Amino acid sequence: MATVQQSDVRKKLKDFITETFLVGSDVESISDSDSFMEKEIIDSTGVLELTSYLEEEFGITVEDNELTPDNLDSVDKLVNFIQGKTG
Amino acid sequence: MKIFDLLAIGARLFPGNKAIQHLDREINYRQLLKRTNIIAEYIKNSNLESGSRIALMYENSIEYVILFFAIFKAGHVAVPLDTSLKPDKIKFIIFDCDARLLCFHSKYARFLDKIVDIDSPLKYIISDKDINLENPNIQIKKIEDILRNPSAPTDDPHPRVAYSMKKFELEKLYEKIPESSDELAAIFYTSGSTGESKGVMLSHRNLISNTIATVDYLKLTEDDSVIVILPFYYIYGNSLLLTHIPVGGTLVIDNRFLYPEVILDTMEKERVTGFSGVPSNFIILLNNSSMLSRRLKHLRYFTQAGGAMAPEIIKKLMSAFPGKEIYIMYGQTEAAPRISYLPPERLAEKIGSIGIPLRGIKIKIVDENGADAPVGISGELVTAGDNVMLGYWNQPDDTRQVLKDGWLYTGDLARMDDEGYFFITGRKKEIIKTGGNRVSAKEVEERILENDKILETAVFGVEDDVLGEAVKAIVVFKEGQSADAREIQTFCRARLAEHKVPKIIEFMESLPKRKSGKVDKLALKNCI
Repeated sequence: MATVQQSDVRKKLKDFITETFLVGSDVESISDSDSFMEKEIIDSTGVLELTSYLEEEFGITVEDNELTPDNLDSVDKLVNFIQGKTG
Repeated sequence: MKIFDLLAIGARLFPGNKAIQHLDREINYRQLLKRTNIIAEYIKNSNLESGSRIALMYENSIEYVILFFAIFKAGHVAVPLDTSLKPDKIKFIIFDCDARLLCFHSKYARFLDKIVDIDSPLKYIISDKDINLENPNIQIKKIEDILRNPSAPTDDPHPRVAYSMKKFELEKLYEKIPESSDELAAIFYTSGSTGESKGVMLSHRNLISNTIATVDYLKLTEDDSVIVILPFYYIYGNSLLLTHIPVGGTLVIDNRFLYPEVILDTMEKERVTGFSGVPSNFIILLNNSSMLSRRLKHLRYFTQAGGAMAPEIIKKLMSAFPGKEIYIMYGQTEAAPRISYLPPERLAEKIGSIGIPLRGIKIKIVDENGADAPVGISGELVTAGDNVMLGYWNQPDDTRQVLKDGWLYTGDLARMDDEGYFFITGRKKEIIKTGGNRVSAKEVEERILENDKILETAVFGVEDDVLGEAVKAIVVFKEGQSADAREIQTFCRARLAEHKVPKIIEFMESLPKRKSGKVDKLALKNCI
C-alpha cells in the first residue's frame, strides 16, 4: 500500500471532522491534540461514521477492537493510527 | 424519609463498601457520607431559602454524587442539567426554575458567559476548578476548598431511619414509603418530542418509592455493581445512582461509551454485575464491538429502557448471553421513571412486551373517552402510584393534560394481554396520518429492522400535498451493506400494508442522538 503523506492525512482528517461534526456546533475549531471525547465533539454513532470515512478514504480496515481512544481520540492519534495501518 | 436517607442507610449498613469507582479513583460509603455532609453544611451556610433550586451542570463523577446528595441534605431541590443542551436552553432552565446555586464542571467553561449573565438568578457557583466569570453578584467556590475547610462536625448523626435498620430490609423500606416526604426534591427537564423543555417535578416520595421497587425486582444487593454509561441528569441514569446506594452496591462510572471497547474492558476489570443501556447502546455493542466474543462472566443482568428495542435486537442479546438476566423496562420521567418491567424468565415468550407494573404501581389502558379498554384492545397507557410526578414546573395547563384524577396519561399506546402483560403499540405523538390512514412509526421501524442489512432506522411523518403526511424512513446500514430505496420499499411491502410502506427513504451514516442515547427525531425532521 502506498505511503500516504502525513500532512495530506492530517488535512483530510481535519476537513472531514470540521465539516461533519463541527459545523453548527459550539466548537469552532480543534487543535490536533484535542480529545474528541473531552470536547464532546463526536458521539458514539459519530465514531462509526468516522471509521467508515477512514476505511473509505485511506483504504484501511478498522477492527471492532480497534475502536479505542488510543487509536481514534484526536487528530494526532488518528494520523498515527493510519500511518501504522498503511506503513 | 427523604432522599438523603438512602445514602445514610448505605453508609450506616455498609460503611466500608466501595460506593463509587471512576477510572482510577474510588470512594467508600463512609467517605462519601463525610464529604456530602461537609458540602451540605457549606450550602446551608449560604442562607438560601429552604427549597431553593440548585442546578448541576456536571459530568458523571464522584463529585456529582456528593453534590447531588448534599443538595438534599441541605434541604433544597436538585435540578440536573442536560449538558448537551445549547447554552441558551441551559440559561432558560436556570431562569425558569430560578436556580440560586449552580454546581458547575469546568469542562463546560467555554459556555459559562452565555449561561450566566448579569441578570442571572444565581448567587453561588460550586466548581471543580477555578473558573473565570465577571459577575460581582455570584460567589464562586471550589469543591476542594470547601472540603479542606469543613464547617461541620464530620461525625454527623445518621437520621433515625438509618439507625432503625440493622441490616438491609426491603420490606421495612416499603413500609416507610407512605411516611416519606411529598415535598419537591428534584426537577428533571425533559426534551420532549415537540421540542419544548418542561420541568418534571419529582418529590422525595416519587423517587424513593420507585427506587425501592426497582431494587426489589432487580434483586440488587451489596454484591452488585453497575457500569454507569448513562448520564446522571437523565432519569434512567439517576435511577442507577439511587438504587445502588441504599443497598451498599457500587457505581462504576465510565463516561467513555464513545469507545465501547474501553467500556467492555472496564466491565471485565471491575467485575460489574449489571449493564444498563438504551437501544442504541445495545445496537453498537452487538454490532460494533467485541462484546460477542467476551464472556463477561461476572455480569448478572442487563437492563434496557429509554425507548422500544426491536425484538430482533433482544433476540440477538438473548442468544449471545443465554445465562444472563435481561430486563426490558418501560417508564418515563414523569413516573420517576419506572412503570413496568418484563421478568427475565418470561422474556422469550413475551418478547416485545414491556411487562408488568412494579410493586405499588397500577397500569390500565383507556380509550379516547377515558373508559377502560378490553383485553387485547389498544388504547392509552395510564398509570398511578407513589411514583407519579407532582406536575410540570410552572406549567399548570400542561400538567392538567397529563395528570387526571391521580392517573398519569403517558401518551403511549398499548394493549394488555390476558395475563396482564402490556405491549406498546405506538405513541400518540408518533402516529402518522397518511391518506386517511393512521400509521405507527414504531411498527414501520420494527419491520425495517428485520432486514439484516440495516443497523438503525427512524420513521416519521413529513408534509405531503396529496396525502397530508407521508411516511419517511431514514436508514443506516450495517458496515459493508447497501441497498437502494426501491429494495427497502419492496422489503417493507412484503411485511406491511401499502399505506405503511415509506414513501420516502433516505440514507445516513448515523442517526443523530441526544446525549441519553435516544434517537433525536426532532433533529432529523429539522434536517429536511
